[in-house]
Amino acid sequence: MKLSSFRYLVRQGFDNVWKNRVMAFASFCVLLVSLLLVGISVLFYININAIIGGIEDKNEAIIYLVDEASEERVNEIGDTLRSLGNVSEVTFVSRDAALSNLQNDTEYPEIFQSLGGDNPLPDAYRIKVADITKMNDTMKAAEKIPDVLYVRSPDTFVELLTEIRRIFTIVAFAVIIAMLIVSMVIISNTTRASVFSRRREISIMQSVGATKAFIRFPFFIEGMINGFLAGAFAMLLTWFSYNSLVELLGKFDGLSSIGFGNVIPYSRIALPVALAYVAAGSLIGAIGSVLSTRVHLKYRAANM
Amino acid sequence: MVELKHVCVRYESTGVEALSDVSLKVEDGEFAFVIGRSGAGKSTLIKLLLKELDANSGQVYVNGYDLTKLKKRKVPEFRRTIGVVFQDYRLIDTMTVYENIAFVLRVIDAPKKQIRKRVPYVMSLVGLQDKADCYPSELSGGEQQRCALARALVNDPALLIADEPTGNVDPELAYELVELLQGINACGTTILMVTHAHEMVRHFGGRIINISEGEVVFDEVIGGAEIEAE
Repeated sequence: MKLSSFRYLVRQGFDNVWKNRVMAFASFCVLLVSLLLVGISVLFYININAIIGGIEDKNEAIIYLVDEASEERVNEIGDTLRSLGNVSEVTFVSRDAALSNLQNDTEYPEIFQSLGGDNPLPDAYRIKVADITKMNDTMKAAEKIPDVLYVRSPDTFVELLTEIRRIFTIVAFAVIIAMLIVSMVIISNTTRASVFSRRREISIMQSVGATKAFIRFPFFIEGMINGFLAGAFAMLLTWFSYNSLVELLGKFDGLSSIGFGNVIPYSRIALPVALAYVAAGSLIGAIGSVLSTRVHLKYRAANM
Repeated sequence: MVELKHVCVRYESTGVEALSDVSLKVEDGEFAFVIGRSGAGKSTLIKLLLKELDANSGQVYVNGYDLTKLKKRKVPEFRRTIGVVFQDYRLIDTMTVYENIAFVLRVIDAPKKQIRKRVPYVMSLVGLQDKADCYPSELSGGEQQRCALARALVNDPALLIADEPTGNVDPELAYELVELLQGINACGTTILMVTHAHEMVRHFGGRIINISEGEVVFDEVIGGAEIEAE
């Protein structure tokens, strides 16, 4: 194909968007809604994961040690805890520090005067686990370490969180896949209708000796333009609504304590979101148009 | 040159035999009318010559191509050697007269220079030089048919097939159109004109191929009214 023909076909693609603006607008809207459905589902999933992840990070277990343990033994227990595998952070809290924290946190420090200088609290280690689903195994291993008095972990909360994440992952993936399928079906039908509405034009092209590539190319460009515009518009809508939502959530102080403080700011994901929308839109638009044209040409060839 | 040898075409879906053992030959530079009633097999003949359908048996040769053996990828190349004028014009509504005609040359990757030279020439040939920027919807039936004719001619085809070209225009314009086709034929283009306007055929005379129930029942050269008057 000559460069002049290539330019002509590209120009035809651009012209066709305007000349067939009703069908182009229909394709644009369908693509926009589909991209938004999938995009919002993905962003929702990413953020819920970040929120759950944030809650998990705050989750700690405490390993209390027997009073008789020497300083050397305490250090050894610390090393053993670090070597357990699933432990991401180990912090020693001495019995004095624990008492001091307790005194500072309470509104009635005078009640500690009755202790007469005694400290009933044991030395302890605060540990954070890397994988919350393996919390129980880690705790069982910690209990078996000699000179460990007992361990305290939020078992019920961990189980609840793990279950929530598991269910949410299944639901989110099911929703995303369903949205993808629905989007593809709608897009395919719309582009097919668009191509069908121009079957006369296609048959004229064929009768004057146009090759399949010559017929398809403007449709490819047209689909890509529609897809690009839908992607760009979806990106703007997502940007606006996402920022508005984050701003709204920020107004409720209580929400940050249950993990909503971990919602990813749009500025951090703006580029990948923009690229994903525009690339997916252009690709789906172009491929959808080409496939529909191809199906139509095959159908025509079979029914000639 | 068009040649059919013992061609049979049967529509599998209906079982109707549209063409039955048809043999005919149209030499280069000839002008032939193909006449017959509706359903006689005229449209099937055109589809066959355009490689829009295949014969069940027999051989079909058009412009040096053996259509019974022509590969799918070679079909566009073959169609570029033929100009076609349809009864319903088949112009692209979203293109101007100039663009509709130039489109055929763009399809064959013709240089811009050739397009700029050839399109105005054929437009003047059919009397549409002042309608270059008009869209098909802005033209009369006769003008649309002349635009379709210009499109069929722009590629300087060896064979021009006209399928009921006078079907949608008034009688006066129909005669003008056939005269225009005769002028084109005089320049060396083979013309095959399908029509059911028998009176007009008798008026002009020439080679007449009559198809009835899928068979060629008459194929002779007759003198036209003008010839008889002389």
